[in-house]
Amino acid sequence: MVKKITRFQKFVMHNPFIQFFMFLFLNVKILSVVAFGHGGTRDKK
Amino acid sequence: MVKLSLIEINLKMAKIVILGAGIAGHTAATHLRRKLSKEHEVLVVSPNRNYQWVPSNIWVGIGRMKPKEVFFSLLPLYKKKGIGYKQAKVVSFYPEGNSLETNPFVSVEYLYGDNAGKQEMVTYDYLINATGPKLAFDLTEGLNPGTNKAYSVCTYDHAGHAWDALKNLINKLKQSNEKAKILIGTGHPKATCQGAAFEYILNVEQELNRHGVRDKVEITWISNEYKLGDFGMDGMLMSVGGKPMASDELVEMVFADRGIKWILGAGVTKVEEGVAHYENLEGEYKTETFDFAMLIPAFSGHGFKAFDKGDNEITDKLFKGFMIVDADYTPRPYEEWTVQDWPETYQNPSYHNIFAPGIAFAPPHAISKPRKSINGTDISPSPPRTGMPSGITAKLVADNIIDSINKGAISLHHKGSMGNMGAACIASSGFGMLKGKGISITTYPIVPDYIKYPNSGGRDLGKTFGALGLAGHWVKLSLHYAFIYKAKMKPFWWLIPE
Repeated sequence: MVKKITRFQKFVMHNPFIQFFMFLFLNVKILSVVAFGHGGTRDKK
Repeated sequence: MVKLSLIEINLKMAKIVILGAGIAGHTAATHLRRKLSKEHEVLVVSPNRNYQWVPSNIWVGIGRMKPKEVFFSLLPLYKKKGIGYKQAKVVSFYPEGNSLETNPFVSVEYLYGDNAGKQEMVTYDYLINATGPKLAFDLTEGLNPGTNKAYSVCTYDHAGHAWDALKNLINKLKQSNEKAKILIGTGHPKATCQGAAFEYILNVEQELNRHGVRDKVEITWISNEYKLGDFGMDGMLMSVGGKPMASDELVEMVFADRGIKWILGAGVTKVEEGVAHYENLEGEYKTETFDFAMLIPAFSGHGFKAFDKGDNEITDKLFKGFMIVDADYTPRPYEEWTVQDWPETYQNPSYHNIFAPGIAFAPPHAISKPRKSINGTDISPSPPRTGMPSGITAKLVADNIIDSINKGAISLHHKGSMGNMGAACIASSGFGMLKGKGISITTYPIVPDYIKYPNSGGRDLGKTFGALGLAGHWVKLSLHYAFIYKAKMKPFWWLIPE
């Protein structure tokens, strides 16, 4: 069964005040995932 | 022989030739120029005179950005920064030289101006092949951007034409009571880049709403994916709001919310005026009609040839469609694929001074599980290699070349396998500072490691997450400005990570 986006979730998704803090969080989170820790895989085989 | 010549290279000033000026080629050129002294030559050879920030093309395709906002001219920048530039396309590779030229070289052909059609030998000490993919529209009969009501957003030109056609359709719907059908997705059974089509379909849906014609349009997603949200990455399990959620559930939820229908496991084989012919995994041959379509073509190698010093063809030492690098190309079934198959340094195993970062390297295999229709047609996504890994791999290749030059011997200290690299897919799903929408997905690693992360679909759930909302649109817009700033090499550009 397909999940639905609830009215509360939509409120959170479109509220600029909440989304401003989400924007800051996303930037930090994205940076932490993509900017560091690249390397090989074969040493670990 | 190659090792000897490399020692010689380091006793003199090095010449690094970069083929291509897309995300990978331009990234490599800028880092090389910044870190190497001016005695070393950095030369870019590309048929394109402009640098384009491809991820923003989807906004050009809905008329919310002008093409000139997503590209800039390379020549003035390269002149100012001391990067050589030839507007030409590479034709063939001579990694050992030949009877006329003892140094390794590539044969290039000028495409414009007084020199149009003229060929030239461009010698190098190090070669970075960042030629990206060929947009193989010809592999799908009738798929040619701007014909048969089918368009593309793969380049800013294509995206501009797509917007012209979409605008005409919107105007027609505003002035009549007619209904219309829009079809967006993949235009070949082995196409990739589902992410771009996914962004475009959601942006188109929002624009139809904005223009007040949404109720007159049936929008359909057509894709070679087995499940929604596969994206050529075998789907992903991610953390959404702190709870695990599969990507197919997330995309299904978004499509249902926006009233978008979907057709899966579909390999489009032919496009006629307003009709897409496809075969599905059940082996049925079907058609889908449309008034406007955006279909991503297959990607292929450029068909380059390579020759040894005796002018004997050695194309299979350099190319396997795309360029051969340090991947494990041994054919194996899906169940035996590992992250260790994926390249780490993007160095050609036969010629150690040739590298192929970005999209130019031949992947060892797909990421998604390969599937065939009951008629035997391969219908499943090819592996995606988007802007972020292209930039990361190009930078590590540049760093290894810099180390090699400085140390006087080949150095491969910098490594970056897609099996040990994170990526962010910030999918805009609607444009607007307050009415915009975005789906932010990060995934780590890009290639799932089912041994390291056996219980979470091969990925680290702490680093693989999804978030829906306006903030995603702001992030995507910020990235647009940040990466164009970086590409223009404005002050402290190198502080912005790839």
